[in-house]
Amino acid sequence: MSDLRAYAWSEAHKPDPASAPVRVYVWELPVRVSHWFIFLPIVVLSFTGYYMHNPFIVARSSTQFLMATMRFIHLVSGSVFIAAFILRMYWFFVGNHWSSWRSFWPIRRRQWRGMGNMVAYYSFLKKDLVHHVGHNALAAVTYLLMFTLMLIEIITGLTLYTHVRGPWLLAPLFSWIPRVIDIQNLRLIHFCIMFSFFAFVIHHVYSAVLVSWEERNGLIESIFTGYKFVPRDELEEESSWQGK
Amino acid sequence: MFPSNESFVGALQKKGVNRRRFIKFCAAMTATLALPPRYVAQVASALEKAKKPVLVWLQFQDCAGNSESILRSSHPSVLEVVLDLLSWEYHEIIMAGAGHQAEAALERVVKEEKGKYLAVVEGAIPLADDGVYCTVSGKTALDIARRVCSNAAATIAAGACAWDGGLVAAAPNPTGAVGISEAVPEAKVINLGGCPQNPANTAAVLVHYLTFGELPAVDQYNRPLFAYGRIIHDQCERRAHYDAGRYVQEWGDEGHRRGYCLYKMGCKGPQATYNCPSVRWNDGTSWPVKSGHGCIACASHRFWDTRSPFYDRLPSVPGFGADVTAGQIGMGVTAAVAGATIVHGIASAVRDRMRTPPGASTPPATRGPAEKN
Repeated sequence: MSDLRAYAWSEAHKPDPASAPVRVYVWELPVRVSHWFIFLPIVVLSFTGYYMHNPFIVARSSTQFLMATMRFIHLVSGSVFIAAFILRMYWFFVGNHWSSWRSFWPIRRRQWRGMGNMVAYYSFLKKDLVHHVGHNALAAVTYLLMFTLMLIEIITGLTLYTHVRGPWLLAPLFSWIPRVIDIQNLRLIHFCIMFSFFAFVIHHVYSAVLVSWEERNGLIESIFTGYKFVPRDELEEESSWQGK
Repeated sequence: MFPSNESFVGALQKKGVNRRRFIKFCAAMTATLALPPRYVAQVASALEKAKKPVLVWLQFQDCAGNSESILRSSHPSVLEVVLDLLSWEYHEIIMAGAGHQAEAALERVVKEEKGKYLAVVEGAIPLADDGVYCTVSGKTALDIARRVCSNAAATIAAGACAWDGGLVAAAPNPTGAVGISEAVPEAKVINLGGCPQNPANTAAVLVHYLTFGELPAVDQYNRPLFAYGRIIHDQCERRAHYDAGRYVQEWGDEGHRRGYCLYKMGCKGPQATYNCPSVRWNDGTSWPVKSGHGCIACASHRFWDTRSPFYDRLPSVPGFGADVTAGQIGMGVTAAVAGATIVHGIASAVRDRMRTPPGASTPPATRGPAEKN
């Protein structure tokens, strides 16, 4: 444990002994699985989806089935993505405190205050970062927005799929949508949201590295292992208001 | 034209159309309607018995393209038979009568054939400023449409303008143009979208009406399913090139000469439903994609607004110039976020260097919502 502490905390951020880091199981298995099975399909979906928008690789022979293959991969990874998304939505309701829907919606005053703190930190109005065991309030709201955009991607995607496929099991859920929003605008929405994922991933990786560096709590590793190393007083401070 | 009480077969024989050609026509119509071949006999016997139904053809805000489409036929074919099938009492661009005479003919049909005649509408109906933008013999298009279409057995909206306003109703739609269903909601309308509509489909609708006594099954836009039920992309002869990944990159390139897929040139085949690839045009000679131009989805709802730009895959993003694509905007946003992230990273590193060094009097600034800084 002491070796670990020496490793995890640099001189500049050395904690006082009263707040020695505690190993906390923050991200449960379904959270980590859904994280990666949302991320990896988005990479594949973005590549194949961009190809479907603008086929930038041109086949050299008639025996290749580039577009057909791209579309097949797009549909399969889309299904994986939807499954992971559903798993994460389910875990909103049965997961631990840090993955619960309650910690995402800004329904408490302290969450709004936390958002203000994060904005102040990011915009250099505040020198130091307020630490969190789970997500900070600003990140949580950002993830809510991303989940919403993912849901729109799923709905528009399944609508476009229904448009091509015709009648299938879930067609009645989606076949009415092109009558309200034209199919071309659905395509445009489906396409544009992809770029919000690109922008999000850049920001997400950067802020994870930044906060991991600031907090020295193994944040990056936690999405693989589930564990974070949280100073004892921080954990106590958080458990004092948790569940209220 | 023939008197309206004469039988169809009698009229055909006078015209020199023999039985063989008549049966060929019936077979073609049965195929267009997507009916099995056993219906050929039923279609033939129904048409033989049919009294020539009266038809009036109204033109409002239009280019006469749908009239041209139905009149253009290089040699006697489906079209001529269809023309002989009906007693055309009123059609501005082909009727001999003019002025009061012509209007009297229309009035006579509405009165004497009430509930029995067929109306074809071509062109949009302007509603703005009390409909002054389209008047015929002093009456507005709306007044004429109300009187004629609500008394007809059925109304066929021929072409995009009569269906949903078409080009006339495209943004900004200065005349407040609408399609016939919107202008006269009480009329029993079947929409034949397309710019122009395909005469083979018009003929097939009429044949269906004469054979079965009712209009064919329709989709959510009241368009006959036999003609508008399938995606063009799925019937396209260039589809194999699409699946293989072989595309025209620019007009006149090697791929264009070899007949590759026009997807990258903005072809809207995947977004359009129509039987264009199978019935084709000019006596089944060709259709736009076959002749090397992408589909513009002219049979889609409000296609001037919803399917443009015709040479790009996606619509333009509102608020940006017409030649800026969604992809360029997306890439720009992504690059801006990446740039801002790099700048922020450098600034954060500088901030960390500026923090209180260890061993100073203030405690290390690391955590807690009660942080003083």
